Amino acid sequence: MEEPPLREEEEGEEEEEEDAERDEAGPEGALGKSPFRLTAEDVYDISYVMGRELMALGSDPRVTQLQFKIVRVLEMLEALVSEGNLAVEELRMERDSLRKEVEGLRRVGPPDSAGGEVNLGPDKVVVDLTDPNRPRFTLQELRDVLQERNRLKSQLLVAQEELQCYKSGLFPLPREGPRGRREKDALLARASNASSSKEEKTIIKKLYNYSNKKHT
Amino acid sequence: MRSSLTPLGPPVSRDRVIASFPKWYTPEACLQLKEHFHGHVSAACQRRNTGTVGLRLSKVVVVGDLYVGKTSLIYRFCKNVFDRDYKATIGVDFEIERFEIAGIPYSLQIWDTAGQEKFKCIASAYYRGAQGPVIITAFDLTDVQTLEHTRQWLQDALRENEANSCFIFLVGTKKDLLSGAACEQAEAEAVHMANQMQAEYWSVSAKTGENVKAFFSRVAALAFEQSVLQDLERRNSAQLQVGDGDLIRMEGSPPKSQDSKQPSSLGCC
Ligand SMILES: Nc1nc2c(ncn2[C@@H]2O[C@H](COP(=O)(O)OP(=O)(O)OP(=O)(O)O)[C@@H](O)[C@H]2O)c(=O)[nH]1
Ligand SMILES: [Mg+2]
Repeated sequence: MEEPPLREEEEGEEEEEEDAERDEAGPEGALGKSPFRLTAEDVYDISYVMGRELMALGSDPRVTQLQFKIVRVLEMLEALVSEGNLAVEELRMERDSLRKEVEGLRRVGPPDSAGGEVNLGPDKVVVDLTDPNRPRFTLQELRDVLQERNRLKSQLLVAQEELQCYKSGLFPLPREGPRGRREKDALLARASNASSSKEEKTIIKKLYNYSNKKHT
Repeated sequence: MRSSLTPLGPPVSRDRVIASFPKWYTPEACLQLKEHFHGHVSAACQRRNTGTVGLRLSKVVVVGDLYVGKTSLIYRFCKNVFDRDYKATIGVDFEIERFEIAGIPYSLQIWDTAGQEKFKCIASAYYRGAQGPVIITAFDLTDVQTLEHTRQWLQDALRENEANSCFIFLVGTKKDLLSGAACEQAEAEAVHMANQMQAEYWSVSAKTGENVKAFFSRVAALAFEQSVLQDLERRNSAQLQVGDGDLIRMEGSPPKSQDSKQPSSLGCC
């Protein structure tokens, strides 16, 4: 394992960027690091340490066999760490360039359409979906509601007028004997010229029927 | 008894009874100068020979800028209340007011339209009247711009109707806010506008109630008189001709018999 001297030169160049962790702990420190923060240099440190210890075990052929496997594992680790760090670096660059792009767009956007609004064509408005008072009903819905309101109001007027008729004694109450009732009904029937006036007693009722025909 | 004269509904309240012809507000801008009901109309009323007029619901449409006080004016007349707070009318609203004019029951349906621009397309659908509605264009006496705008409001309302079939009124509101020279000045401008519009001019205050009842009585009487005259004319020119759809018809009752028999049945008392 001849890497160690090489490694030491590289480390000198990158010193400012790397954490102080390794300086304090020396080559052995790399083994105590979080696997997600491992760099290629750490892998070299580890192989230096392990190479030294393997050497100390002497030239037993079993040790030599193990040494090949260990080197292979360390190579794999190195590849994974390098690849991972490369990917992180790429993502970091992409993030930075997107950030710049967003900032640029933000700076350019406002003059185009005042108030930071999205630039729309004429006769368009922006609706804030979080505003509880935002417009959300259609004209037709409002028309329908108004028509329904008018219809109900007409019915209320009819009911009120009928009630008034009963109160003022103009319409006989049910308990008022069959004869009196028939006479008054007949009068109403003649006056309104309806074959049966039972349902058509008040003027507003007729007016209502009329206006209803017109507006619905 | 009053109620015996109006067998078709409850008695009309005392202040809705119009016995003599209501007067104009100013002779400089009025639709009619005469002081009595038309002779034919009086005679027809006396004989209870007013056809289907008593069954008719005559339409009144009130238009004008937002905030000029249309709703307030109508509420003062129909409910005798005044609210200092502004609540914009949504689209349209209406009130029905029953009168007894020269002994004949007569009803107005008063349509209160919204002044806000965004409601115009909804409100304008209600401008049309079967036989020429009364059009009331309202403006705020303290805001000359609203007077300028009445021209456009009238134009929009007339577009939906036959111009010469309508009675047009120009009403200056909030009279209580003006007095003396300022009031005279505003009224002079309004009278000028009214003459251009061929409208009758009135100054009113919904807050104090000044002229409100007199104004609507005038509206009702003119509309009533026209209805009776039209009815007489129609019956004279084409006897027993079917009405043009502005009558209230009962289901199953032939319209012809309405024209011919209604008068006598109304005179039952
Ligand atoms: N001082 C005074 N204020 C009035 C008078 N009439 C109306 N107002 C006030 O004017 C404001 C508008 O009145 P509204 O009757 O709601 O106006 P509008 O014409 O119906 O308005 P829209 O429904 O939006 O078309 C309210 O605050 C009223 O209190 C009046 O005669 N005198
Ligand atoms: Mg209103």
